[in-house]
Amino acid sequence: MTTKRIKGFEDSYVVEGKMALPYTYFAGRVGSKFITTIRDQNKIMGVKCPACNLVYLPPRQVCDKDFTDIRDKWVDVSNTGKVENFTVVRYNDKHLPRKAPFVLALIKLDGADTPFMHILEECAIEDVKIGMKVEAVFAKETTSTILDIDHFKPEAEKISVHEINAARKQWVPVDEPDTEGKRKGGKPDMSTPVIITAALTGAATMRNQNPAVPYTPAEFAEEAYKCWKAGAAMVHVHAREDGGMATHDHERIRATHDAIKQKCPELIVNLSSAVGMGKTAEQRISQIVAVKPEMASLNTNTMNFGIVDRKTGKIFIDYVFENTFTMLQDFGKAMQENGVKPEIECYDMGGLDNAILIGKQGIFTDPINFNFVWGVAGGQQFRAEAFIAMMNALPPKANFTTCGVGTDEFPCIMQSCILGGHMRVGLEDNIKMPNGDLAKGSYELVEVAVAIANALGRPVATTAEARLIMGIKKR
Amino acid sequence: MAHKKNRNVGIIGIGQTKHSSHREDVNQPELIHEAVSLALKDAKLTMKDIDCVVHGNMELFEMVHSPDLWHVLGTGAYGKECIRITTGGTVGATISCASDNLVASGMYDIVMAIGFEKLQEGHTTGGITNMACPLWFRKIQAGALTGSSAYDVEREFGVERADKASLTYRIIMDKHAGLNPNAHRAFGLEFSQIDDLIRTSPKLVGNLKLIEMCSQSDGACCVIFACEKKAKEIAKTPVWIRDHITVHKEENFNIFGYDRKFPVLKTHKFAAENLFKRNGITDPINYFDVFEMYDPASWWAIDWIRDFFGLKGDEHLKLIEDKEIMIGGKMPINPSGGVIGSNPIGATALIRVAEAAMQVRGNAGPHQIPTPVNHALASGFGGTMWTVMTMLEKELNW
Repeated sequence: MTTKRIKGFEDSYVVEGKMALPYTYFAGRVGSKFITTIRDQNKIMGVKCPACNLVYLPPRQVCDKDFTDIRDKWVDVSNTGKVENFTVVRYNDKHLPRKAPFVLALIKLDGADTPFMHILEECAIEDVKIGMKVEAVFAKETTSTILDIDHFKPEAEKISVHEINAARKQWVPVDEPDTEGKRKGGKPDMSTPVIITAALTGAATMRNQNPAVPYTPAEFAEEAYKCWKAGAAMVHVHAREDGGMATHDHERIRATHDAIKQKCPELIVNLSSAVGMGKTAEQRISQIVAVKPEMASLNTNTMNFGIVDRKTGKIFIDYVFENTFTMLQDFGKAMQENGVKPEIECYDMGGLDNAILIGKQGIFTDPINFNFVWGVAGGQQFRAEAFIAMMNALPPKANFTTCGVGTDEFPCIMQSCILGGHMRVGLEDNIKMPNGDLAKGSYELVEVAVAIANALGRPVATTAEARLIMGIKKR
Repeated sequence: MAHKKNRNVGIIGIGQTKHSSHREDVNQPELIHEAVSLALKDAKLTMKDIDCVVHGNMELFEMVHSPDLWHVLGTGAYGKECIRITTGGTVGATISCASDNLVASGMYDIVMAIGFEKLQEGHTTGGITNMACPLWFRKIQAGALTGSSAYDVEREFGVERADKASLTYRIIMDKHAGLNPNAHRAFGLEFSQIDDLIRTSPKLVGNLKLIEMCSQSDGACCVIFACEKKAKEIAKTPVWIRDHITVHKEENFNIFGYDRKFPVLKTHKFAAENLFKRNGITDPINYFDVFEMYDPASWWAIDWIRDFFGLKGDEHLKLIEDKEIMIGGKMPINPSGGVIGSNPIGATALIRVAEAAMQVRGNAGPHQIPTPVNHALASGFGGTMWTVMTMLEKELNW
C-alpha cells in the first residue's frame, strides 16, 4: 500500500493498495457429475425437471421455477446445438481462455432448454450468426473443468436420412425376372435403396474396447434407436448378460429383442444364431424358434474363428466355429417353419456354395439374402476381385450385404454400395471411425455408411423398403 | 414500551444444515437448499406458501456479487419478493428482525429468513480488509479476533482466575456442542484439561488462545416467520417474537492492544438495558430460561454475560465457575454449543434465534434443556461494535 500525491491535488492524498484474493469454488455433486461425464465419456448431460419438463444445462440440483429437487433426473443432451447469442471478446487478459479476438457464444444444445456459454472457434468471427448450428469439440487433454469441452465449432451441414426419405418417392420393386447376367460387368441397379444394418455388439466386443457397447436390454434399445435415427433399417443383435457375456438365455434374448421393438417398432431385428463361442446347436437355434425375430443369421461352414495378432500371426484364441451341413439344414428348416428370414453368412466362396448346395432341398425362399463377411481370422480378407466373384456366383434374385472386421469395414461396404449391394456396420465388426477415433456408438458408423450412400447417390432404405427388398413381412 | 407492532409474529419453521468445514459436496445454493427444505418440512409448508424471502450473508466473503440471485436455486425465491440484507456478523439477527418487521407491518403473512455462509470458498479478506487503513480512520473490520477482552478480564480478576474462567466456559461450550448434532466442532474436552490447555494452546493475539476462538464453518439456517393468525393455524407451538433491538456505534478498536479511551464493546450493555427496560424486565437473569449468545471467543463471552444481564462485581464469573451456565444450570447459555461450536457467519446470528426458538418449542433434541423454557433471549454481534438482541416467548401474555 502506498500513499501518493496527484498533480493538481497536492492537498489530497490517494492511497493505492493491492490485494491477492485466493478463492475456491465448489461444483457440488451435480456440477461434478456434469464435468466428469464430459471428461470421461465425452458426453454432455443435463437434468430434466419432471414438474415443468425443462431440461437444464448446465445441470442444477433444484428447479428454480417450481423448487423440485431434480438432482437425480439426468438426461443426455446432444453435442450439437444452436447459437442463441454471442459476443466478441476484443481484449487480452490473463484470466481469459483464448487470445483476443475470440467469440463467446450462448449455446443451446439440442435436447436442452437453457443455453450455456462457451468458446466458438473454427469459424471467422464475421461468419458467426445467431441461430447457427454448432457442435462440441472435446479436449484432448482434460482438466476437470468446463474446458474439457475445448470449444464449439460450426456443425457440418447434415440433413437427416429420414428427411431425405420423406421427400422422395418410395421405392417399389420392378416385377421383371433377374438373370445371372444382369449384374455382370459391374452395372448395378443404383436406384435400389441401400439397406444399412447396424451390428450392435457381436459376441466378443467388450466395453473395455469401446464403452458404447450395450449390455442391458435398455442399452440395446437406446443404441438401436440411435442407429435407426442415423439411417439403419436393421439391427443385428447378440444379447448380453449384465456383465457383458454373450447369452443363449431365452428370457434375456427376448427381453433385449422386445426392448428394441418397443423403443423403435419400425426397426428390423436380426438375431444371431451363432450366439457366441462354445454354444451347442440346440442353444443356438432354440432361442430363434422361441423369440421368432423377423430375421436371423445362418452360418454356412465349419471354420477357424479365432483371435490372431494381425501383425505377428500369434494365436490368442484358437476356436473352431462348427456349422455342419446338418446344422445348416436344420437351422434353415427351423427358420422357414417359424417365419424367420435367414441372412446367410458367407465367410468365403465355399460357404456360399454350401448354402446353394443345401438350399437345393428347397429350404430357402426368394429373395435369398446373403452377407459376405470379410476379415475374420479363419475366413478370407477383403479383396475387391473376391467380392465380385462372390457376387457373380449368387443365385438369381438374391440380395447381398457385406461386413468387414476392423479396417476391412469401410472398403467392403463401399464396394457393396457401388455394386448395388447393402451395407452392415457396427461395433460387432469394428469399434473405430475411419480416422481411428473410437466410435461413439454403432450409430456413428451408420452415419459413415449413410455418407457413402449419399456420395454415390443411392437412397438409404427405409425399414418398409428394406422389408420389401429382403422379402420380410412385418410382424 | 416495546417497539410498536401492528400484529404479533411467530416462528413456525426452522431448518439448519450440519455445520462443517468440509462441504465439498455442495455448492452455495445446494447448501442453502438443505436448510430451506428442512425448514419447509418443519413447518409443513411448500415454497408456494412463502410470501417473501429475506436473504443474508457476509458481504463478499465468498467473493460472489449479488449472491441472492444465484442462490434462488436454493432459496426458492423465483418470482417472489426477495430482499438481501448484509450487516456483517449480525446479519443473521438482522434478517430475523427484518422478517419480524415485514410480517408485523402487515406487508407479508409468511416470510422466510435465510442466513448462510460457505467459508471454505472465497477468502474473507475480500470482504473485510479491502478498505482497512488505520491511518485513514478505517479500522480493520475483523471484530472477533482480539486480545483486548482477555486483557480486561485478567486486569480485573487476576490472570489465574480469568484464564480458568475462560477455559471453563470453553469446555462447557464443547460439552454442549457434543450434544448438538448440527454443531461443527465438539472435541470431547474435559474440565480436567483446563491447566493443560492454558499452557499448550497457541496464542493468537495477546492471551486469546486458539482453543478459545470460534471456527470458520460452512452452513445455512432458515427460519420461517408468520403472522399470529397463520402461525396459530400452521404451527403446533409457534414461538412469539416479543421484541428486538439493534444498537450501533462507530467502529473503533485496536486489535493488538488496549486503548482506555476507546475501551470495550458497550453496545451490548446499552442494548440490553434498553430492551429490558422498555419491556418492564427488571431481573433478566431470573426472567429468561435460556440465552443463545453470539460468543466469538470465550474471553468475550465471559465478559459479555455481565453486560447482557447487568451483573455486578464477579457475579458473571461465579455463574461460569459454578457451571450455572450449563444445560441444567440456573441460566443455561448456548445449549447449542454457541458460535465457538459452529460459525457459518451469515447464518450464525440467525442460528442463535433458531436455537433459542427450538428451546422454547421444547424439541431442540439432545441439547434440549430439561426445565420448561418460556422466555428465551438471543444476541447477535457484528463487525467491530454493534449488537442485535431478540426476545422470544412461549405464550402471548406479555
